[in-house]
Amino acid sequence: MRKAILSFALLLLAVAAVAQGFTGGITATVVNRSGRLPIEGAKVVLTQGDEAVASVTTGPDGKFGFSGLDNGSYTLSVEAEDFVGTQINVLVEKGFVRDLVFVTLSPSSSIKEDIDDSNFAEFDLTDTGYSDAPTILFGSNDVYSKVAGYGFSAVRFKNRGYNSETEDVYLAGVKMNDALTGYSPYSLWSGLNEAMRSKDTAMGLETSEYGVGGFNGMTNISGIPSSVRPGWRFSVLSNSALYRLRVMANYASGQLDNGWSYAFNVSARVGGNDWVKGVYYKSLSFYGGVEKKITDEHRLALIAFATPGERGAQNASTQEVYDLMGDNMYNSNWGYQNGKVRNSRVRRTFEPVIALKYDFTPSDGFSASATALYRTGKNGYTALDWYDAMDPRPDYYRNLPSYSYFEDEDYNRSNDEKAAWATEMWNRNYPKTYANYQHLNWDRLYNVNYNNKDGRSKYALEERHVDQNDLNFAGSFKWRLTDFMKVNGGLSLKWNRTENYKSVNDLLGGRYYLNVDQFAERDFAANEALIQNDLDYFLRNGAAQKMEKGGKYGYDYLAQIRRAKAWANAEFNKGGFSATVAASLGYESFWREGLVRKGLFAGLDDNGDEIVYKGVTLTSYDQYGRVITSKGKSGVSRFLTYSGKLGLAYTLNGSHRFSANLGYFNDAPTFNQAFISARTRNSIIDGLTTIKSFSTDVNYEFSANGFSGRITGYCTKIMDQTDVMSFYDDSQQSFTNFAMTGIDQRHMGIELGVKVPLFVDGLSASGVLSWGDFIYTSTPHMVQTVDNSAKIVREEDVKYWKSHPEFKKTTIGGIEVYDQDADGYIVKRQIRHHVPSTPQLAAELALNYRYNYWFFEVNGQYFAHSYLDMNPLYRTSFACAGGDGVETPQEIEAMASQEEFAPAFLLNASVGKSWYINRKYNIGFSLEVKNILDNRNVRTGGYEQTRLIKSTGKDRYYPFDPKYFYMQGANYMLNLYFRF
Amino acid sequence: MKKSIVIAAVLTAAVSCQSLKEEFQPVVTPGYDNPAPYRYYTDADFGKIITIAELAGQYTPEKPFEMPKDKDILKGAVIKGVISSTDQPGNFYKSFFIQDETGGMEIKVGKNGLYNDYLPGQTVYVKLDGLTLGMYGYKTGNYGGMGMVQVGFSDPSGEYETSYMEISYFIDRHVFRGNPNDLHPVQPKVITEDELPNAKTDTQKSNANVGRLVTLKGLRYDNEIFCLLYLDSNKDKKAAENRVFLSDSNGVDTEYGKTHGVTTWAMSKDKMTYYIEQGLWDTCKVGSGSTYAKKPDGSDLTLGDLKGDGTYPGVEKAAYSVSQYFRMGSTVIQIRTSGFSKFSDREIPEEVLDGTKTVDVTGVLSLYQGSIQFTVNNISDFAVDGKPLE
Repeated sequence: MRKAILSFALLLLAVAAVAQGFTGGITATVVNRSGRLPIEGAKVVLTQGDEAVASVTTGPDGKFGFSGLDNGSYTLSVEAEDFVGTQINVLVEKGFVRDLVFVTLSPSSSIKEDIDDSNFAEFDLTDTGYSDAPTILFGSNDVYSKVAGYGFSAVRFKNRGYNSETEDVYLAGVKMNDALTGYSPYSLWSGLNEAMRSKDTAMGLETSEYGVGGFNGMTNISGIPSSVRPGWRFSVLSNSALYRLRVMANYASGQLDNGWSYAFNVSARVGGNDWVKGVYYKSLSFYGGVEKKITDEHRLALIAFATPGERGAQNASTQEVYDLMGDNMYNSNWGYQNGKVRNSRVRRTFEPVIALKYDFTPSDGFSASATALYRTGKNGYTALDWYDAMDPRPDYYRNLPSYSYFEDEDYNRSNDEKAAWATEMWNRNYPKTYANYQHLNWDRLYNVNYNNKDGRSKYALEERHVDQNDLNFAGSFKWRLTDFMKVNGGLSLKWNRTENYKSVNDLLGGRYYLNVDQFAERDFAANEALIQNDLDYFLRNGAAQKMEKGGKYGYDYLAQIRRAKAWANAEFNKGGFSATVAASLGYESFWREGLVRKGLFAGLDDNGDEIVYKGVTLTSYDQYGRVITSKGKSGVSRFLTYSGKLGLAYTLNGSHRFSANLGYFNDAPTFNQAFISARTRNSIIDGLTTIKSFSTDVNYEFSANGFSGRITGYCTKIMDQTDVMSFYDDSQQSFTNFAMTGIDQRHMGIELGVKVPLFVDGLSASGVLSWGDFIYTSTPHMVQTVDNSAKIVREEDVKYWKSHPEFKKTTIGGIEVYDQDADGYIVKRQIRHHVPSTPQLAAELALNYRYNYWFFEVNGQYFAHSYLDMNPLYRTSFACAGGDGVETPQEIEAMASQEEFAPAFLLNASVGKSWYINRKYNIGFSLEVKNILDNRNVRTGGYEQTRLIKSTGKDRYYPFDPKYFYMQGANYMLNLYFRF
Repeated sequence: MKKSIVIAAVLTAAVSCQSLKEEFQPVVTPGYDNPAPYRYYTDADFGKIITIAELAGQYTPEKPFEMPKDKDILKGAVIKGVISSTDQPGNFYKSFFIQDETGGMEIKVGKNGLYNDYLPGQTVYVKLDGLTLGMYGYKTGNYGGMGMVQVGFSDPSGEYETSYMEISYFIDRHVFRGNPNDLHPVQPKVITEDELPNAKTDTQKSNANVGRLVTLKGLRYDNEIFCLLYLDSNKDKKAAENRVFLSDSNGVDTEYGKTHGVTTWAMSKDKMTYYIEQGLWDTCKVGSGSTYAKKPDGSDLTLGDLKGDGTYPGVEKAAYSVSQYFRMGSTVIQIRTSGFSKFSDREIPEEVLDGTKTVDVTGVLSLYQGSIQFTVNNISDFAVDGKPLE
């Protein structure tokens, strides 16, 4: 009531001012960007020229007003704790009271800001078998988002079950998601936490000033020098979960009197962790930026950054291996070389980004900005390559006891004596004795190479490159048309040219590696031309190319991507009501451009003639009679993309807000989902189409007297996705490509976040709950081709993809059997299959205490309903039928069912304190201990293998054991910082 | 108590120092040094070296045994030999032969690409304790005879008398390499028909040429092959209905007779597809003498019935081994070549096929069910007019 009176009084004052004469005023409400909730205690300072005219602090409703102002232009500075401050130019004329409606502030990070959440966003999870990075860049004050974004990261929580490519990440107004995969691009700026701290986040279906966005929120990182917190800052961080040590220095000038601002940020991250051996960091990060406010209207910023470095990756293994080693964090990627730990899988990157941003603010009602951004450099990932030699991986399935002996006789593995030898080889009590069996045996690889007197390496370390050149332009404007209507709009263009190739990283004691395809050789040993990776070289020189260190070999092709998009958002505010309408229209095209001619898919020569070698025609054709080719330009895939959004909200009494959103999206598939085998040929999958998504949510938020919270219900349908994979198929005895189309999924659920002040000042409790149901809803179609010939070997619906039947059982004579009636086995119910690799139920209860610059937090977390990623081969009718072609309940349940991980409970705590010295220096620390109960049995993800075990009678198949990733046990993160 | 705490603390510190050191090794190692060459073994490293013939002499058909069980002479014994075969061109698979003056022996190691680790011409010591001596290819009865005595791991399934060793740790404790820089590639001994073993009775014990690399001169093509096809290897390979014999008694009523039109040493998947699509084997019945697969009308099913649209969809396209029959004087020599070998699809020279010329062959002489089987290392082991084939 008080608020109403106050605002009424303000309004009266304003009216009075107008009545009194030609003096004007300014009024507005300061609100939180995400959620539009009023911000109490924001400090608003009005200046004209260099002179402060007035200042005021907002009340609980966030409203403020100034009256009695002379005509002229003013600058309004708004600052609030935990928010990024802002400045607005306002023109007061003709004595009107200018109602700005809302001044929105973006949340800065919370008090935990020095625990760098984004450190953890940089797992390059595609390396480790994960296809997604965790969603993590939430910087808002929303209780739920904070916990879901950072607190749940240890279990790889994916917000609403969405993949990371659905989250739009912008930098300086340019969408940065990877052009080929759509993945979030955090690794481009990891280690530059200070420079990239200032960000603006929209959740779910909300729109933002930078674009229409999708259904999984969007984040814009400002990245320009004026947004970096001024002053010096040094920090030292140590943690035991990822890398041991990080040192960082940062300086930002803030805006100087001459209009310049500049900033830099450098850091180094080194060392390994307590849990996964062989994983390490050796990375530097640099950021530098300058910015000039040329006039009130024009502002120009130039930034550049890069994070050169390398890091060792982790690998998943089967539970059998983990049990033998007594360690769920066992990593098969490393071994000892001359007694020193060496990892075979190392990601090496140097991908500098440079951006130029121009801001134009001609009036207080209109502003525009434009950014040109260029990303280039190298991104490589090493792996062992070998030719006609033993599989060097220590956890190769033939090295395990289960390969020789299996309890179930139907596996036809009865050699228990041999299994005992294999078990002894994995004896964990003698790590030194068995090091070369339990880990990669580098010595052997070198010795094999030494054995080749002509210098041919049989083992080598390859480096798989994805080297991008990515040029972007994005322009946008903000225009306040009337007091109740605002329009944003923009245009973005992307040009991407990415070279994918392998190079020789290390010849491991040899002098060259031969550029031939050993998988092709399995089938075409008799024809030397067919096994060439570079047929043109072979035809010119009469022999396969001998690759030296650094040479490109294997495959080499360009991914070419072009994208254009126009978009607009309109926002209406009237009283407590607001509405948003947004739409975008775009065009996207991509194609593959092969740079080498592969023997298997020679295509036509430069004159358009068939290629013949020793009387054998190498040119081959697909089922439509089209030439299958590896070199040159593929067909161009073109897509019209569009999206539309509608949002409605009503704010009651300034402390309750109701909102609802819906959106429809028609997005292009990514390059990496479009080609059957981009490595080898130009063939695009049949029926490639856009991905259609529909999403809606309903929200209620409240914030009053220290209480705050939000509850959201959402439902999203994603349709017509495609997926391609390549794997060895035992039933075909060859390497095959598997293209799956028409994958639909549905995500629905409830999010709840509540913060409650408790009886002691500074003490509060919070609770967060995410309950979801993320399932597959379609029966996709698959086409399986032989990688060596592009020949289609199987084409069918993946019958048990979305669900599999559970059959009715009955007991006959004390033995449980599957019940049958006249029609055969009786289906009891269908068991649905879920979107994998994230808990579908996640909850946290936390206690938080802040007192005199101390903070303490203890929280307990519970996760459940997480599922293993499915391999589609096992869900085909073929795999469930086995050699005899008959599907039985036993086979269906063994092959098609999806594993659900056990629930997990975690306990975490953190403490921190900062001190001010002479009001100038600030030092502080924060310490976080995660998983205090040292729970080492939490599966966070993994994947199924694709291979098949034939039963003794060859009447059925058994699946190979799946491979898992586990969460680390107890771990700490300690951060010390010094600021002035 | 205090003491144990101190010890525990020191231990913890030492362990964490070690792990911290290892944690930073990849960070601080600018380039890894090449590891030292393997240590190699000499006679001095072993006590009792016995000959291959002595070892083979311990074997009685159908009585495989794990060494040294009940055979005192084998306690702590080692056999020593030079590697005579290579799996590089793919005609040998997962094992190699070693030979001494008394005979040759297959060592069933059970790994791919063995020639990378065990070089042809390299001396190898095989420590017998824990290994099993057995025979492959023994068959009783009038049409049977000896197979080859082999060294491998036990096979409790009873399917074979030995299995592959397979486990690296086991292999490294039983198979030891001699100096890799002192190779003595085996010089094949040229033998006459008289020196050939009697396949009914001989083993490595009684004929020093068994299991050794030898050269046979003047072999004449015998216009016969043997090859076993499967309709679907995902199904039971032993079921008669899944088998098709290209033999001397099945589908020989064509112009090709017992050769079935197969003019290559073996057939890769590609070549097999070519052969079958030519309709060469259309009259071959599915099944074996005991059981033939039947058509609905009760008559025997032939490959021709499975022709479909001409691609024979019901027959598995795969690489198949072929035995090409030759004669040395009056003795039949089956030259058996793997469909996975790199030279499987090489044509046998026409003059050899039509009998105008003979072929000289170098390979490992072995026995299989009372027949002489011959396995070459590479295509160049065949020579016509003294010129190796390419």
